[in-house]
Amino acid sequence: MKQNAAQPASPAALALFGLRLTALVVIFLGGVILTQVAQIGSGAGFIVVGPRVFPTIVGVGILLLGVLFFLRVTAKPDQDLISEVTAEEAATDWTTILLTSLSLVVYASLLKPLGYALATGLFFPVVSRIFGSQRLRRDVFIGITLGLVIYLSFTRILGVRLPAGLLAGIL
Amino acid sequence: MDVLTNLLNGFASALTPQYLLLAALGVTLGTAIGVLPGIGPALTVALLLPLTYKFDPTGALIMFAGIYYGGMYGGSTTSILLNTPGESASVATTFEGFAMAKSGRGGAALATAAIGSFVAGTISTLLLTFVAPVMAKFALLFQPADYFSLTVLAFISVTALVGKSLLRGLTSLFIGLFIGLIGIDVLTGQPRLTFGMPELLDGIDVVVVAVGLFAVGEALYVAAQIRHTKEEILPVKKGVWMTREEWQRSWPAWLRGTLIGFPFGALPAGGAEIPTFLSYTIEKRLSKYKEEWGKGAIEGVAGPEAANNAAFSGVLVPLLTLGLPTSATAAILLVAFQIYNLQPGPLLFQKSPELVWALIASLYIGNVMLLILNLPLIRIWIKILEIPRTLLYAGILVFGTLGVYSMANSFVDVMIMYAIGVLGFFMRRYGFPVGPTILGVILLPMAEAQFRRALSISQGDLSIFVTRPLSLALLLLAVGAVLLPYLPALIARIRRKPVQSGRIVFGDGQED
Repeated sequence: MKQNAAQPASPAALALFGLRLTALVVIFLGGVILTQVAQIGSGAGFIVVGPRVFPTIVGVGILLLGVLFFLRVTAKPDQDLISEVTAEEAATDWTTILLTSLSLVVYASLLKPLGYALATGLFFPVVSRIFGSQRLRRDVFIGITLGLVIYLSFTRILGVRLPAGLLAGIL
Repeated sequence: MDVLTNLLNGFASALTPQYLLLAALGVTLGTAIGVLPGIGPALTVALLLPLTYKFDPTGALIMFAGIYYGGMYGGSTTSILLNTPGESASVATTFEGFAMAKSGRGGAALATAAIGSFVAGTISTLLLTFVAPVMAKFALLFQPADYFSLTVLAFISVTALVGKSLLRGLTSLFIGLFIGLIGIDVLTGQPRLTFGMPELLDGIDVVVVAVGLFAVGEALYVAAQIRHTKEEILPVKKGVWMTREEWQRSWPAWLRGTLIGFPFGALPAGGAEIPTFLSYTIEKRLSKYKEEWGKGAIEGVAGPEAANNAAFSGVLVPLLTLGLPTSATAAILLVAFQIYNLQPGPLLFQKSPELVWALIASLYIGNVMLLILNLPLIRIWIKILEIPRTLLYAGILVFGTLGVYSMANSFVDVMIMYAIGVLGFFMRRYGFPVGPTILGVILLPMAEAQFRRALSISQGDLSIFVTRPLSLALLLLAVGAVLLPYLPALIARIRRKPVQSGRIVFGDGQED
């Protein structure tokens, strides 16, 4: 363990770094909430419990929990948690996560211009590929079928609106 | 009998072709999706919410109850054959169930799970039928202060009893409270925590949070490790049935599981997780065949599966009569109610008795349907297990996006949902349970409204929460829930024995 920790990119070091960063993010969130609370107007008339009470409690709570969590990953480390996260870190492909998130954003922004069916037909094989699927033709076929079936059944049978996009004249 | 008349009316409407069809559709979809590895009832209901936007409320809720039930039946199949529990309530089933499947007795394990679920489901629905109306009458006595204390009890017990760390559970809860606060304050009309974004004025829809946390969060979490995990489906060699001896060993376990599951489900303590583990422990202690444990003891499947199903009817008691979800899955069912502007609570039984009783009647019917679906047709469901996981999780992303996008065709909603999905991914990565978050989002409005009401009645005097006996009792229970996990360590210290573990853990809090 000690030798591993010395290398900058070892799972143990990454896990610890990730946990500490998480604690800092929680603390930061608490701070952000408290600065936002200051901007909440008090509202007209007399109210026993104003609109700031609950946000203040939540903001202070998150701040305190963040500080406590920071202590649990620094001064008084929670070894169970750290070894658990280390094991997960070793098995995680960050590229997969990044590419998946990116393709989700692209998918969402293409829904309107391309239409639901086409965007889905495109997204499905791409994401399957990112997840490690090797059979592109099958995935494209499934994706397009899925997109068309969902589009038609939602708009025709369930009465839910979805964008037709490029296929507006055909579907 | 008042209850019987109501129940008969419920059956009369649940047995109409339209509702029978919806119940059948619900249990089939529920089983099909529940059987997929790593997917439990909460995720199943969250994914299928958008399918029902245009249904009438009774039909939609009948379908959801079917999906929930089906998801539980399907989940046991995955636990037994794949060792992959879809939710923490099925974890206890995997211990003996997977061991049985490995030694070639998968068929018997599946049979005891399905029949046990049926027995437990039927008995506990019967209990629900008689307990719920009484509870609804009692709930009419609740005043705002009591309601607030009740939400506190639900918050605390779910975070304290479920999951490995109180600190992380509370953090998760508070993040949920934060998300729940975003938007215009109903009482004063002031925008809160909207960061100047007009899209956030209406608040973040609970469906957006549920789909993000459960569907996208889970998909990202699995995707991150997808190249490192290999799964093997164990074949079911003989038929799905039990020998005489297996019957004899199963039925006492089913009954005990039911009796443990129902009351624990009804308490605000996180649904089915605690009773399933409790049933597992009790069966292990009572068993005459101790040498079989770990190698496939049938009681270890029969008990927890019965407890799991019985807990669902138990969960419905506070959900229908108080509007209080006691687990993440129940919270998502509450969302289903709210989509139709129905507020579960004591008044639901008075305002919409047709709906409540048709729903309860459909639970009896759904159970019968599931028994038929799961015994003779089990091989079809096993085929679903063979869908490659790459396609499966790509599909979950497609359906999750569809669920949120179809609400209002809004790009912003989808982006918020993805952001919450990324949050859900990191929470899973760093050991934060996601259940308390969804509970926080859903219960925050109720907690705040009742807190305000209570204090305007008492004119700002906080002591109202401890001077009303009911409220005080609920708060004391909450304190008890925090202390309970530390109890063994405390007793050991008093007796000056070496402390074995600091805190008991009831399951891992991964409810999805």
